[in-house]
Amino acid sequence: MNPLTLLARRREYAVALALALTIAVAGIVNPAFLAAGNLRDILVQVVPAAIVGCGLTFVIVTGEIDISVGSSMGLLAAVLGQLCSPLHAGLPVWVAVVLTLLAGTLIGLVNGLLVTVARVPSIIVTLGMLTALRGATEMLMAGKWITDLPSALRFLGTGSVLGMRVSLWMAALVIVTSILFARNTALGRRVYAVGSNPHAAHLAGLSVGRIKIFVFTLTGFLVGVATLVSVPQLSVIESGIGIGLELLVVTCVVVGGTSISGGKGTIIGTILGVGLLGIVRTVLIFLNLGERSVYWERAIQGGFILAAVLADNFAQKNKRGEAHA
Amino acid sequence: MKFALPLTFAALLFAGCKPSAETPAGSSAGGKKITVCMLPKKKGVPYFTSCSQGAEEAAKQLGNVELIYDGPTDGAPEKAAAMIEKWALQGVDVIAVSPNDPDVLAPAMKKAREKGVHVVTWDADGAAGTREYFVNQATAQDIGYALVDTMAKDIGGEAEGEVAIITATLTAANQNEWMKFMKERLAKYPKLSLVGVQPCNEDQKVAFQVAQDLIKAHPNLRGMWAISSVAFPGAAEAVKQSGTAGKVFVTGLSTPNDMRSYVKDGTVKSVLLWNTKDLGYLTVYASNALANGGLKAGAASLSAGRLGEKKIAGDQVLLGDILVFTKDNIDQFDF
Amino acid sequence: MKTRLAKFPFWHEAVLALLLVALLITANTMEPRFMRLGTQIELSRHLWEIALLALPMMLIIITAGIDLSVGSNMAMCAVTLGLLYEAHVPMPLAIGAALLVGIIGGAINGAFIAFLRVHPLIVTLATLSAFRGVAEGVSLARPISGFPASFGLLAQGTFACLPIPAWMFIAAAIVCSVILAKTPFGRFLYAIGYNENACRFTGINVPRIKLLLYTLAGFMSALSAIIFVARRNTAKADVGTGIELDVIAAVVLGGVSIFGGRGNIVGMLLGVVLIHETREFVSWHWNNDELILVVLGVLLIASVLLNSLFSRRSRSD
Repeated sequence: MNPLTLLARRREYAVALALALTIAVAGIVNPAFLAAGNLRDILVQVVPAAIVGCGLTFVIVTGEIDISVGSSMGLLAAVLGQLCSPLHAGLPVWVAVVLTLLAGTLIGLVNGLLVTVARVPSIIVTLGMLTALRGATEMLMAGKWITDLPSALRFLGTGSVLGMRVSLWMAALVIVTSILFARNTALGRRVYAVGSNPHAAHLAGLSVGRIKIFVFTLTGFLVGVATLVSVPQLSVIESGIGIGLELLVVTCVVVGGTSISGGKGTIIGTILGVGLLGIVRTVLIFLNLGERSVYWERAIQGGFILAAVLADNFAQKNKRGEAHA
Repeated sequence: MKFALPLTFAALLFAGCKPSAETPAGSSAGGKKITVCMLPKKKGVPYFTSCSQGAEEAAKQLGNVELIYDGPTDGAPEKAAAMIEKWALQGVDVIAVSPNDPDVLAPAMKKAREKGVHVVTWDADGAAGTREYFVNQATAQDIGYALVDTMAKDIGGEAEGEVAIITATLTAANQNEWMKFMKERLAKYPKLSLVGVQPCNEDQKVAFQVAQDLIKAHPNLRGMWAISSVAFPGAAEAVKQSGTAGKVFVTGLSTPNDMRSYVKDGTVKSVLLWNTKDLGYLTVYASNALANGGLKAGAASLSAGRLGEKKIAGDQVLLGDILVFTKDNIDQFDF
Repeated sequence: MKTRLAKFPFWHEAVLALLLVALLITANTMEPRFMRLGTQIELSRHLWEIALLALPMMLIIITAGIDLSVGSNMAMCAVTLGLLYEAHVPMPLAIGAALLVGIIGGAINGAFIAFLRVHPLIVTLATLSAFRGVAEGVSLARPISGFPASFGLLAQGTFACLPIPAWMFIAAAIVCSVILAKTPFGRFLYAIGYNENACRFTGINVPRIKLLLYTLAGFMSALSAIIFVARRNTAKADVGTGIELDVIAAVVLGGVSIFGGRGNIVGMLLGVVLIHETREFVSWHWNNDELILVVLGVLLIASVLLNSLFSRRSRSD
């Protein structure tokens, strides 16, 4: 096994350990935490971050970044709602679903084209999108909420198939496909090649631009998927959906061991990161630390990340040469 | 490039050092054209949108009022303060503010008054000395007390059990003010114990998750106040999905249209609010009267179009009582 | 290298200047009152915190780093200032303590980045939430108000026609530009941005420089926090929320390459002013907050896009 894989694996172990410890502590202090219903609710909570995280992992592996995902989710939710709400366009749900996925893919494609063809750095493109799409969402919603979502749409968020939530099936499908894609396809390996050394990848005859366009488009599509299974969990679509999602997902991806400078990172790591950061709030509520604890929640979240980074640093001390090569 | 920087500053200074004197644009007494700027706490939420509809209706009826409705879409008090400063510079006639954070807005509101702009507050009051009139639909105390009383009534009997609050953000000034009075009022119901205050960061999904967690983490939970615009539907959905409707009661402030389905299916027993369209309407009438000299210190009432004569108590124009929407009456309201 | 030097190197600044002039002419035609000097000086009060933070942010981005924690650090400093004032500590001491907290916050970032060699994005993403959390925890999210009027003058006062924070910024900007253009330290920053490993091999003390930079960002956060508290007369744990994105947007709009090694203070200033004037003008004329978001987002992408159309300079660093 090559040393890079080993290092990446090690971070996954660290995060998995932290996750297991957190769950154990919460379970001992308050056994209700381990109830099947609660664990399912936690899983359902982290679905959007997990689905978007898969796409963002690939983007970050290619050495780029996408911080527009939260605002695109907001816009896609508004589009979805306006398309299928009987008070607005009132289209059949399946049409709205297809159009929402298309719109998501289109946003991703535009990001990708701006980054590659127009050569605007991805942080600028997606920072611009983060701002502009939020404004567009506010304009589209025009100060109203959409409260009359058809029940067929609500099914995507609240319904179950074979005893499991639709959103969980979808997340499982996305995660498994992403893992297989990364490991077993030529395109997946190229994504990593582009990230670890774009010049070499270029010289080896890979179209760096096309691969980057692909990962941005994929992320846009996955934001659409995440919108479809998470927004209908609630009965109201408002203009603030997805605010801050980009920060959460980027944090999960890097805590999960993906290198922000590209070339290194796994889906499993990202999913573990999503799990770790996703349960902090719930764990704090179940630990029942008293009224004041809530004020320290963000400090604890930040401390978690720093601790993970520190632990990782000590674990890697000997291998630093390779890690920064 | 070496010289560009000094040049920039030189240009900046050279361009004329004296700030030019401000002349408020066309503001003098009489029933003539005035500009009223209406600032909500957060633009883009149905509550304030319906207020703005009432305000527009009033502006149209009056004919001489040009209404500007704008506010920060993220509810940031700093942005609201910047808007007040901008309007003061433009020399508009009246700025009607719903302060999201009275302390942060206070310097800007005072400065606007020094420039000769009329400042009134609506929806929530400002800090001392920052406004001439407050168009009062309910004080923080009224709201806080009403929330607690309604919950106790919903739970019924001896009003026993654990209760929790889902607020907007930890730093949200209005919500913190309401909570102060809620805690004060809770003393009246010794068998209700407050087990937590959780922020939802103005995120419906977080409100949903927090409510879900609270229901599970506190098996004796009987009630949740969801006191931010998006927390209410989020918390109601959590109660609905957990199948605890009838055991766990959710209440809060919302326009009836946005909570209608939860009230009708029994998830939510009572929704509190006032008539938002009337609030916006009254605000514009009060602003117009103030700018055109129709509202002088000591006035006991104000004639406000279709609302008729409205009482004035001191420096507050009173809209009326807090409404409680229930299954029985919610269909009478459409806003 | 030679071909790049042969070409006009300031396309970016030219594009920004052009956009700015076009904007100001449009503004002057549509809203003459907006363009009055008095108006501009008053509106500039919305700018100085962002401008002050843009200076260290520029230096940091030139070294291919980033600091997302400046807004949260501001909150820590503001809360420190407020709590100490509330505890009847003399104002100068409270200000000193706030500056110290900012410096410590910055140094914590710097230590992780310089000595542990963790990527700045990760470190400051963590402190973005940690600092804010500390501010909320220590203050229990309470607002502290009622500062003395003399303290308010620090932000609201005017000296020689310009707001006092403007003078602070001018002083800081001059120091910054001299350092960047005239000192070895400034050269090192560009060198680190171009090729950090090479710098380490040539004996440049990279960790010390990085520690210094992030500490400087912490100091500037404290300064911005003090100005903010003085301007709004309120210290609270939500001070500076989201300001990091405004600052970064202004800096990258100003042509400072996010990949490091490129950028200058003139471009940065143009970026800061262009964003400020756009925001204020759109707000002034249209009174429409959501429109500002759309315009700023499009402006950010379009200006960099225009630049890459004009200059065919390579992006492969």
